[in-house]
Amino acid sequence: MSAIDYNKCHITFCAAPSKKSQSLAASKENSQPKAQQPPKYKSPLERRLESTTEPRWVRYLLTFLALGFLFLFLVLPLIFVFAHAFNAGWKVYWAALVEPDTLSAIRLTLLATLIAVPLNVLFGICAAWCIAKFNFPGKGILVTIIDLPFAISPVIAGMLFVFMFGAGTFLGDLFNSWNIKIIFAVPGIVIATMFVTMPFVAKELIPVMQAQGSDEEMAARVLGANGWQMFMRVTLPNIKWGLLYGIILCNARAVGEFGAVAVVSGQIRGRTTTVPLHIEQLYNEIDPITGVTAAFAVASLLTMLALVTLVLKTIVEMKTEIK
Amino acid sequence: MSIEVKNITKWFGQFKALDNVSLTVNSGELVALLGPSGSGKTTLLRIIAGLEAPSDDEGQILFSGADVSDHKVGDRNVGFVFQHYALFRNMTVFDNIAFGLNVRPRATRPTKQEIHDKVMELLRLIQLESFADRYPNQLSGGQRQRVALARALAVEPQILLLDEPFGALDAKVRVELRAWLRRLHDQIHLTSVFVTHDQEEALELADRVAVMSNGKIEQFDTPDVVFHHPASEFVMNFLGTVNQFSGRVSKGLVQIGQYKFRIPDDVNLSESGTAAIFVRPHDVAISNRPQPDKICLRALVKNVHSAGAHVRVDLVTETNDELTAELSHQENEQLQIAVGQSVFVHLRNLRIFGQASALNSEDSV
Repeated sequence: MSAIDYNKCHITFCAAPSKKSQSLAASKENSQPKAQQPPKYKSPLERRLESTTEPRWVRYLLTFLALGFLFLFLVLPLIFVFAHAFNAGWKVYWAALVEPDTLSAIRLTLLATLIAVPLNVLFGICAAWCIAKFNFPGKGILVTIIDLPFAISPVIAGMLFVFMFGAGTFLGDLFNSWNIKIIFAVPGIVIATMFVTMPFVAKELIPVMQAQGSDEEMAARVLGANGWQMFMRVTLPNIKWGLLYGIILCNARAVGEFGAVAVVSGQIRGRTTTVPLHIEQLYNEIDPITGVTAAFAVASLLTMLALVTLVLKTIVEMKTEIK
Repeated sequence: MSIEVKNITKWFGQFKALDNVSLTVNSGELVALLGPSGSGKTTLLRIIAGLEAPSDDEGQILFSGADVSDHKVGDRNVGFVFQHYALFRNMTVFDNIAFGLNVRPRATRPTKQEIHDKVMELLRLIQLESFADRYPNQLSGGQRQRVALARALAVEPQILLLDEPFGALDAKVRVELRAWLRRLHDQIHLTSVFVTHDQEEALELADRVAVMSNGKIEQFDTPDVVFHHPASEFVMNFLGTVNQFSGRVSKGLVQIGQYKFRIPDDVNLSESGTAAIFVRPHDVAISNRPQPDKICLRALVKNVHSAGAHVRVDLVTETNDELTAELSHQENEQLQIAVGQSVFVHLRNLRIFGQASALNSEDSV
C-alpha cells in the first residue's frame, strides 16, 4: 500500500516540472516567515521536492550573484544617465535637445537608419530565403560571411570603407568625378551603418525559414499562386515575428553604432555627426559642466530608445511563443 | 483525364532516382505507386505534378494526350496533397481551402460569394463544416489531412496526386480515411495517383498498383495480379510475408534439398540452375500424413502463435529451411499442433524465380 502512495507522490511531482511553478513554489516558501513553519521537521513531500533541486543556499547565492551583477552593470548606469541628464533641471535638458547641432545629429541618425534598415531587411530576407530553401555552391561561405560584421571590430569596418572609397583610391576618385562624396559624408555613414547591421535580419530568419521548410510555398505554387502571391500570402506571414525581431535589433544597432561611423564620418559637427558621435563630442566639450549635462541629455534619448526596444522585443518574443 | 508518363529519367547528383520510367494511368483510375523508400515513387509523383523536372528532354508527361512537360506546376491544374499536409499555418481552414481560388487572376476569379459557397460545400464533403475558423494547429492529423484534400480539390483538378496520404496518421484513422478517399474518388470522377510504402494500403485502395524498386517499375497491374502473380522476386518479397527456399530447377523439376518435385503448371520457367523458391504463409498447409503428388516436406514445429486472426506456426523443414505457416484457428484445433511435433507441410502456389533475380534474395521482408 505505502509503496503505491510513494509512487503516486512521485508522479504528481514529476508532472509539474515547469520552471514557473517551481520558482513560484520557491518564492512562496521564501515569503513565509520562518516562525510559521515548524523548524527542522520536513514532510516526506518536501524532502522529495528538495531531492530534485539544489540546496537552498546554492540557489540563493546564484540568484544573488546574477541579480547583483545585473544591478551593478545595467541598472545603476541607467539611473546615472538619467540623473546626470536632469541634474541641471528640465530647462537645460530641453535646451540641450533642441540645440541645432543635436537636431542635425538626430536627423542624420534617422536618415542613416531609415536607409540602412530597409535595405538590410531586403538583403536579410533574400539571404535567408536562398540559404534556407535552396542548395547552391558557396552556400557554406555565404552563411559564414553573413557573420563577418559581428566578428570584425567596427573600427576596422570603418577603415575598410575609408580604404575603399577614400581620396586617392580608384572607387573614391570615380565617385568624386561624379561629384559624389562618400567618405566624410552621409553616404559613407549609411554604408558603414549597413555593414555593421547586416547580419541581424538574416540571422533571425534563417532558422525560422529552415524550420518551416518549403512545403507551404510549394503547396501555394501547385494551387496556382505566382511568386509574389506566394511570398506575400504564405512566406511573409510565416516569418513576420522573426522578421520584426530582426528589424528591432537591427534598428537598435543602427541608431547606436559608433565605431564604424566615427571612422568614415569625419565628425564634422552639425553635418556628419550622428547621435552617438554627437554625445561623445559634447562630453569632451571645453565647458565641462554644460557639456557633460548636454551629453547625458542626448544620451538619455538613446537610452529611452533602448528601453522601448526591450519592450518591443519582449512583446515580439511573447507573440512568437504563442504562435 | 488520363496520365501518360513516357521515358522519364531523373538524377539527383550521382543517384539515379528514376530510370527510364513509363506508365499510363487511365482516366478515372486510382493508381498506387508502391515501393520502399528510395525507390523513386515520390520523385515520379512530383514529376507528374511538375514540382520536379526530368533530367533529360527524352521524357514526356501527357495529360489526356496533351504534352504538359513544359507547363509549370500551377498551370497543370493538378491537386497535390503533401505528405505532411503543408497547410498554410497562418490561415484558417476556410482560407486554406479558398487559397487556390483567391489567387486566380481577377478575370477568372470567382466572386466572394461563389468562393464562400464552394468552400462550404467542400467543408461539408470533408465533414468539417464547424471548423471553418480553426487554424491548422488546432486540428487533429486526420482532420488536417482532410483539409489538405479539400484545398487540393477546391481548384477542381481532374488529376489528384497524393504523397503518402496516410503516412502520418495512426492505424485506425488511416483505415477510415482510406475508405473515405476511395468513395470520394469514385464520387467526383478523378484520376488519382498516390504514393505509399504500405502494401496493404496499396492493395486495398488502388485499381492498379505500380510496384517500384530502384527507380524502375517492377510490375504494374491490378492488386490481385501483383499479389498472386508477382512478376519478380522483388514484388513477391515486397508484398506480404514470404517463405524463401533456395533450390535448383532443371527439366521441369524443382529440387529442394534432396527432394525433387514436378514444377507446377502455372510457373513459367525455362532456364535451369539455382533458383529462389517462394511460398506465402497462407499457402503452407500442415497435415499429419504425407500427400503424394504434392510438394510436401517433413517439418518440425518450433513455435505456435495463436493470438490473432490466424494461427502462425514456425517450422523447420527436414531440408533445414525455416518456414512460417498461417492457418485458421479451426484447422489448428483439428490438427492439435504442439511445439516439437513432427508434421508434413504442403506447399501450394509456389513462386520460382531463376538465378538472375535470385541475387536480390537478401532484401526479403
